[in-house]
Amino acid sequence: MSGLSGLSVPEDMVLRPRPSALKFDLVTKCSTTKARAATLQLPHGPVSLPMFMPVATQGSLKGLTPKQLEETSCRLCLNNTYHLGLKPGQKTLDAIGGAHKLQSWPHNILTDSGGFQMVSLLKLAQVTEDGVRFLSPHDGTPMLLTPEHSISLQNSIGSDIIMQLDDVIATTSPDHARIEEAMHRSVRWLDRCIAAHEKPHSQNLFCIIQGGLDLDLRRECCEEMVARDTPGIAIGGLSGGEAKAEYCKVVSTCTSLLPDNKPRYVMGVGYPEDILVSIALGADMFDCVWPTRTARFGNAVTSTGVFNLRHASYAYDFRPVEDGCKCTCCRPPSEGGLGITRAYIHHTAAKETAGAHLLSMHNVHHLLDLVRQARESIVEQRYPSFLRAYFGKLYAGDKNKYPQWAVDALGGVGVDLMA
Amino acid sequence: MEPTNQPKLEQLPAEMFTIIKAASNGIGPRLGTLALPGRKAIQTPHYLGLTSRGVVPHITQDNFARATSISGVYVGLEDFIEKAPPHTPPLYQFKPPDGSSPLRRFIALPEQTLLVLGARRTPPLAAPSANSNTHETVAVCTAVGFRTLRAEYYAEVVEGLKADIVVGLGDIPFGRALGHKRVVKATDRTIQWMQDHVTRRRAVVERTAQARLFAPLLPVSCAKQQHYIDSLTQDLASAISGLAAYDLASLGDLPDSLGHLPRLGFTAPSTPHDILQHIAHGIDIITIPFVIAATDAGIALDFAFPPPARNATNERDLDNPLPLAIDMWAATHATGIYPLTTGCECYTCTSHHRAYLQHLLAAKELLGWVLLQIHNHHTLDLFFAGVRLSIAGGTFEQEVERFAQAYESRLPEKTGQGPRIRGYQYKSEGRGEAKKNKAPFTMLDDGREKLAESALPAANADASELEEQGFAEKDVQ
Repeated sequence: MSGLSGLSVPEDMVLRPRPSALKFDLVTKCSTTKARAATLQLPHGPVSLPMFMPVATQGSLKGLTPKQLEETSCRLCLNNTYHLGLKPGQKTLDAIGGAHKLQSWPHNILTDSGGFQMVSLLKLAQVTEDGVRFLSPHDGTPMLLTPEHSISLQNSIGSDIIMQLDDVIATTSPDHARIEEAMHRSVRWLDRCIAAHEKPHSQNLFCIIQGGLDLDLRRECCEEMVARDTPGIAIGGLSGGEAKAEYCKVVSTCTSLLPDNKPRYVMGVGYPEDILVSIALGADMFDCVWPTRTARFGNAVTSTGVFNLRHASYAYDFRPVEDGCKCTCCRPPSEGGLGITRAYIHHTAAKETAGAHLLSMHNVHHLLDLVRQARESIVEQRYPSFLRAYFGKLYAGDKNKYPQWAVDALGGVGVDLMA
Repeated sequence: MEPTNQPKLEQLPAEMFTIIKAASNGIGPRLGTLALPGRKAIQTPHYLGLTSRGVVPHITQDNFARATSISGVYVGLEDFIEKAPPHTPPLYQFKPPDGSSPLRRFIALPEQTLLVLGARRTPPLAAPSANSNTHETVAVCTAVGFRTLRAEYYAEVVEGLKADIVVGLGDIPFGRALGHKRVVKATDRTIQWMQDHVTRRRAVVERTAQARLFAPLLPVSCAKQQHYIDSLTQDLASAISGLAAYDLASLGDLPDSLGHLPRLGFTAPSTPHDILQHIAHGIDIITIPFVIAATDAGIALDFAFPPPARNATNERDLDNPLPLAIDMWAATHATGIYPLTTGCECYTCTSHHRAYLQHLLAAKELLGWVLLQIHNHHTLDLFFAGVRLSIAGGTFEQEVERFAQAYESRLPEKTGQGPRIRGYQYKSEGRGEAKKNKAPFTMLDDGREKLAESALPAANADASELEEQGFAEKDVQ
């Protein structure tokens, strides 16, 4: 343990291995990039990494039944602690027996700590050493969310993966001192979360690496948090409007310092290109509300781009949302699907709730399937060519349109998109 | 799914509607079978699911097929024609590769489900007086407001959409009583429109795939629309496969010569008691707008026919009629991990519980309405199965009486917020109208002061202390 002598880890914490409720089996490492394929055994069944996780904020995925969510091949979805803490509330969750029972979801659930929503949704949230002070969005009552309470709530929710409460600062913040403070506070709060966690044998606590865009802070945070030996590791504070090049540097810096034998989760990342590049940089898990939120605005996510089906040009377009897509919405009736056309989505988008539900099914399926294909190519040692094919299709072969950040980031891990 | 136009099905007898049992004379409840080529036969009395823009509200087509037993749906053409004129509505340009019904394929309705098409959705939005019907047109409400639909155009386009049943265009002045002169006018118009429609149909060479044509009855007694009734029993008789009733008044003196036709009810029952009354008047297939209204109001239907056995001598039972439905908004359901209604076998009740429904409604999650719609339609399926059994067993009248005693007369009042109100659900009253949908988020004006005043709990505060601080509404129940 001499290598850790300079760290502020309480001694009893490093000496005994942390209890864990998961098993991480590394299947393949890409021989070119830092991408990995793995299997993660969780309390509610195995999932394949890399993986995209759709967000069922308040215990339901925007109008889809658990059965429909299951059909998109999802086996791990997110719930938001902040929302479930407000409704139905901890007492009710305890009475019902947790979020799996609440929503009749037999597969895995991951919950965030609730801190991010407070800072992002509530203008008046204040972070102190004790926790996040904020006002109830319902009646304005002052409230406080501490690391202990966040864990207590997540223990009541019973999610398979729980997140530490972290001090989230926008990476774009100019206040370097505040970013540094937030990183150190996040480490201190991790210790409080570990101490407060009552169910380490059935729920996996993930730490969250902070440190803004400062790579030294990120490195320091990685070292501190890795030493605390949580079952999984998240990279937080990103996806908040920072330049994509900066984002890639942070992800790559962190993954280089993280152990091989633990899942790595980049929080709040959801655009297909971001996910594929992050996989190449060594990240395994992603979540975003984007596919479902954008569906409610009539946007279809496809391998050739995002299209707003509310546009008049789709009123007479009788093709499926995406040709060849295997989702329930797009598959023709002869293959047991619904054979829904773009014209029908145009007809119902923003007019009937079912229109949004259909498009959510497609969008979620699209992202899950994209990441599944990425995994397949990693296992078969052809991830670089998969990436080239993906960008080629997305930009219709026009390499001038490839985003520079993606070209650079992938170049850094040995994939030349322009080749 | 089975392909359409199977040769075997084409050989079915032309008999679409078979009456199994009916009152020997006059009006009364009756049992029948409605069988159309390629569709699952429907035992009547039954109901049609109501659609909005081609979908039973909230129920995606995969849920429709998997989680409901809705055997037929009603679609209003007005939901599809906002681009006409000047543009041809997309639906008319849609040509499914296998030559099947463009409407059925467009809305992804399962092959076995009966598809009934009419001009207006149900319930229709009453047209403003400035947009009343004319000799050639009816007022319809599209996504872009009221438009006129030409009778000639209607007759032309509905035939191309290949529904199973088309309800002919009638001069039905929704939301208004018909004066004597207006009835004469409506009679003349409807005769003209129906005759033109039938002439057009008779001119078609290949008629095997034609939709069955149902004749609308004006919402007055048959005596008051005698000329039209005469036309239906004479020149139009061979072209008409059924009747559409908009008021029970038109069934009271229906001539025997029209008695063999199935009767489709657009009679807008507002309670299950009304449904029973309409069945007693001889309606075979009925549309039930209140189901969808109940779903949007967060109300789970909870009635059965025949009603559960109760002790007639027990005063408590007599004084305490059963509620017809449960308001799922009530906070008392927050921890209820049991089905919406006891013993219910619908997808919602077998997969979920009251606590989840209450949570979804309170959280305004779209899934709440999905699950309620599934449950409420399942409740109707059982209700109608019970009705048919009792008619077959000859106990319908007694059971209706028992039902009236066993249950409250009305559905519970709506207490919670429904989904966003859409334009086709209310009639604009002009300027200065209050907003129909509340803004989802508002700024807390006094927020900053409250934050400044708040005392900070100790860092090691436990949950109950935090509860006192008001975090997370821990005081539910």
